[in-house]
Amino acid sequence: MRERHKFVLSLLLLAISPASGFPISASLGAQAAASPDTMAFYRALDLEAAGKYREAIPLFRAALKTPAAVNALLGLERAYAELGWSDSLVAPLDTLISANPKEETFRTVQLRALQMAGRQADLRRAFDAWAHDMPSSAAPYREYARLLLQKNQSAAADTILLRARQALGTTKDLQLELAQTRAAQGQWIESARAWRQALLTADYLVQAAAYALAPTPSSSRAQVREIFLALPAEVGSRRALADLEMTWGSPADGWNALKELPPDSASAEAWSEFAKRAEAEDRWAIARAALESALGWKRTPDLSIRAGTAAMNAGDAQAALRLAPLSLANGDSALIARSYLPLHARALAALGRPMEAERLVNAYDRFLAPGAKSSLTRTIAWGWVRTGDMTRARAALAATGPEGDSSDAAGWLALYEGNLKAARALLRGGTESSPELASALGLIARLKVDSAPAIGKAFLALAKGDSAGAATQFVQAADLTPAVRSLLLLLAAQVNASMHNESAAIALWTRIVEQDKDTPEAPQAELEWGRLLRLKGDAAGASTHLEHMILTYPQSALVPQARRELELAKGAIPHS
Amino acid sequence: MPSRSIHPLRRGALIVALMAALVPVRGVLAQRLLVPMDDAQQNHLKAYGLTYAAIKAGASAEWLLNYRGGAFLLADTPELRRQAGLAGITTEPVDNARLSQLRAEIAANNMEAVPLEKAPKVAVYTPPDALPWDDAVTLALKYAGIEYTPIYDDDVERGDLSKYDWLHLHHEDFTGQLNKFYLSYRDAPWFIDLLQKNSAAAKRLGFANIPGLKKDVAEKIREFVERGGFLFAMCGATETLELALAGRSVDIAQSFIDGTPMDPDADRKMDWKRTFAFRDAHLEQSPFVNAMSDIDGHQVNVPGRRQPLGTFTLFNFSAKFDPVPSMLVQDHRAVVNDFYGVTTSFTKAVLKPGVTILANEEGAPWVKYIHGDYGKGTWTYYGGHDPEDPQHAIGNPPTDLSLFKSSPGYRLILNNVLFPAAKKKPLKT
Repeated sequence: MRERHKFVLSLLLLAISPASGFPISASLGAQAAASPDTMAFYRALDLEAAGKYREAIPLFRAALKTPAAVNALLGLERAYAELGWSDSLVAPLDTLISANPKEETFRTVQLRALQMAGRQADLRRAFDAWAHDMPSSAAPYREYARLLLQKNQSAAADTILLRARQALGTTKDLQLELAQTRAAQGQWIESARAWRQALLTADYLVQAAAYALAPTPSSSRAQVREIFLALPAEVGSRRALADLEMTWGSPADGWNALKELPPDSASAEAWSEFAKRAEAEDRWAIARAALESALGWKRTPDLSIRAGTAAMNAGDAQAALRLAPLSLANGDSALIARSYLPLHARALAALGRPMEAERLVNAYDRFLAPGAKSSLTRTIAWGWVRTGDMTRARAALAATGPEGDSSDAAGWLALYEGNLKAARALLRGGTESSPELASALGLIARLKVDSAPAIGKAFLALAKGDSAGAATQFVQAADLTPAVRSLLLLLAAQVNASMHNESAAIALWTRIVEQDKDTPEAPQAELEWGRLLRLKGDAAGASTHLEHMILTYPQSALVPQARRELELAKGAIPHS
Repeated sequence: MPSRSIHPLRRGALIVALMAALVPVRGVLAQRLLVPMDDAQQNHLKAYGLTYAAIKAGASAEWLLNYRGGAFLLADTPELRRQAGLAGITTEPVDNARLSQLRAEIAANNMEAVPLEKAPKVAVYTPPDALPWDDAVTLALKYAGIEYTPIYDDDVERGDLSKYDWLHLHHEDFTGQLNKFYLSYRDAPWFIDLLQKNSAAAKRLGFANIPGLKKDVAEKIREFVERGGFLFAMCGATETLELALAGRSVDIAQSFIDGTPMDPDADRKMDWKRTFAFRDAHLEQSPFVNAMSDIDGHQVNVPGRRQPLGTFTLFNFSAKFDPVPSMLVQDHRAVVNDFYGVTTSFTKAVLKPGVTILANEEGAPWVKYIHGDYGKGTWTYYGGHDPEDPQHAIGNPPTDLSLFKSSPGYRLILNNVLFPAAKKKPLKT
């Protein structure tokens, strides 16, 4: 705790030095050259950093008479606060202010000290005196309003801001305080107006604005939108609105707020930043739109890859190729191999253009990192599988040489062709991991035969996206291969369940539980059965199966999952 | 749910008959089933539910204070084994020889075996509509599988508290100011709905406004404890219940809720003789400051006063001489991470003499967990909102306790549910 405090303290010291006009950080590095009167100040800083506040205080006080007075006062304020003696600041502050009534830091610290001491009447008097002595300055109003806002006294802060308007003729230097006051009072429309003004000169307040306006009730949101969307389109206000829309669960509206910005570097940065949030939330279509706009301003390889990936993830392979053309890499073969090739191969395979993908991969073969080739080969072979051309898929792998022949893709192709012997050897030594691979490995490990064309056909149908055909073929294969019957039936049930063909899935789970109750698939079938019933609202039916599964197969690795399902079915834990 | 009371002798005969009927089915069962509550336990929270189920079924149950984290010793029945297996609760069979060793160890150390006799009838005071915050006790009871009855103002006013042994309060504001949410959420649909329903309830039940209704509910809760009820409160209910009791004859509500400002002399007029835990606290006079009084040490919703979270330490009591506080602090951790609530902690300076401090934060001017007797009953206050969601904010999703099966903070809640089941023993001092 103490260490953390020190860290914060040191940051504070660095932060205040430029404002005070006294280069502490530079001077700290040259303490030996400091004059004797500022030595006390440095010594005080050391003592403060060591937590020796009592010892630091007299030295800080001594330094109040030196050029380091402003920073010495801030040090004194921190030390007194640590000891709970903030009241003790008041007397030296009176002296300092008498000597230098224009110094804003002295006045600000005075307000804070009186606030800490709970001397509300004196606090008000100090504010009045400051406003009187500096009639054209917004600082007294700003600092006092901030203190009131910190105490949740938004009505009182409002009164001060009103007085500032009367005294100064404007609140243009108090827009942040005005915005916070209005938000605290639930005056969302007025707050939004003030935030828009504040953001004109301080666009770093984007997040603060979005945070303050996040609780805006839905009934007021349309008006808040209007304020931020009013022309001219400014980057700060549009970014704040985009953040708000994301928080309100309307990412499409967030993009609408940003897309009209004129293309320039600030807008491009706003688009790219917005896309990052959309990417993190898997809003790929919106991320793509934002990145495409950013690309319109500046076409960098990084942006193009992000845009292409977003398009691909949004299901638009054609756009992925268009947004991330190889030409953007400026002939940097290593960059192409590392960043563009995986995206292009994936897009081309999805478009049923595996030949082009194959050509591309071959062209950059020597720039590929170890292990990358195997993944690309699999992608290409996958493309051939999607076209249903197993011969070409096989040929594609063979053409890539020995590595292709021993790749994961070769293992999959062997499986699709029913060649279990080859599939067993290739998939076991593979580098990828996926649920499909786990199922396939589990299946072939339990089969003693080297050939099973019916199983291969079923997996191929699944790879081609023919779920209904795959489910039927898994059942047919189950009847032909009793050694893995339960596993094939389970796969068929899973495919049926994913197609919402629940009665077929239940029939298959029933068969497994009744006929193959000693296989590892029996607890899994019962777990999946219970889960399906729970999702359909049949809590009692789900509980029966889940309880049976837990008590019958207590050693199963699936028991923790079954317990969680049971708790959800019984309402013992909230649904996420 | 109310359970039928059975004469102890009859209950014993029933258990023997039940055991005799069940033993041949599953073979020879051990004499007892030990439910360890130290780090060997896989699901501490469900273990309380198992024990509650044992007591409810009339099976023998003992709470072994300070033994293996506050273990439970239950009758070894097929049904309890089944429930333990389903929930993943760690149990250990204990035969007669090991039972003798165990009892000898308890006798020789700061430990005690407390028989648990009757499953308490549990009521949770909670509004019937879902609100955008969770309730740690409801979550814990649901997860552990302990039955409870939700009750609210109509039930309390009808006199239904007398049907229950144990009452839990959580987020309610008994000063009737709806936690001053008006300041930030007056346009939120849930708040508008809350305000309308509470106003309608006040009118229906014959009160001028919400503060009037809530103060009367507070008074009935005080009477419930006085007559022998067990009260457990968390979060803002602790502080506001006390303010409502002390301020029964004073206008302590701000104008936004009852149309009149707080009595400027309210502080002086508070009658602290009527309260359970606190005295001489000062009311927050400003309608714009989201705090009720200086009872709470952390003041989470007041930016200038908000105190950081630390950890709190559970006190160690003599199990043989102070069994009640010992039961309330049974845990497998002595130091627990703190968590915020509308009321997070209790300032030491306003505690009444005689209040038992169960947990505090070392060096801080506040305590976390307190307990005391009142009339024939007892009360326990636990500051904070959700032990596993230290910064819980309005609108946050409820905590999934299956991810916190061994939460030491939640254990303290469940200790409170079980301790009313303990058989009262004459004090040894």
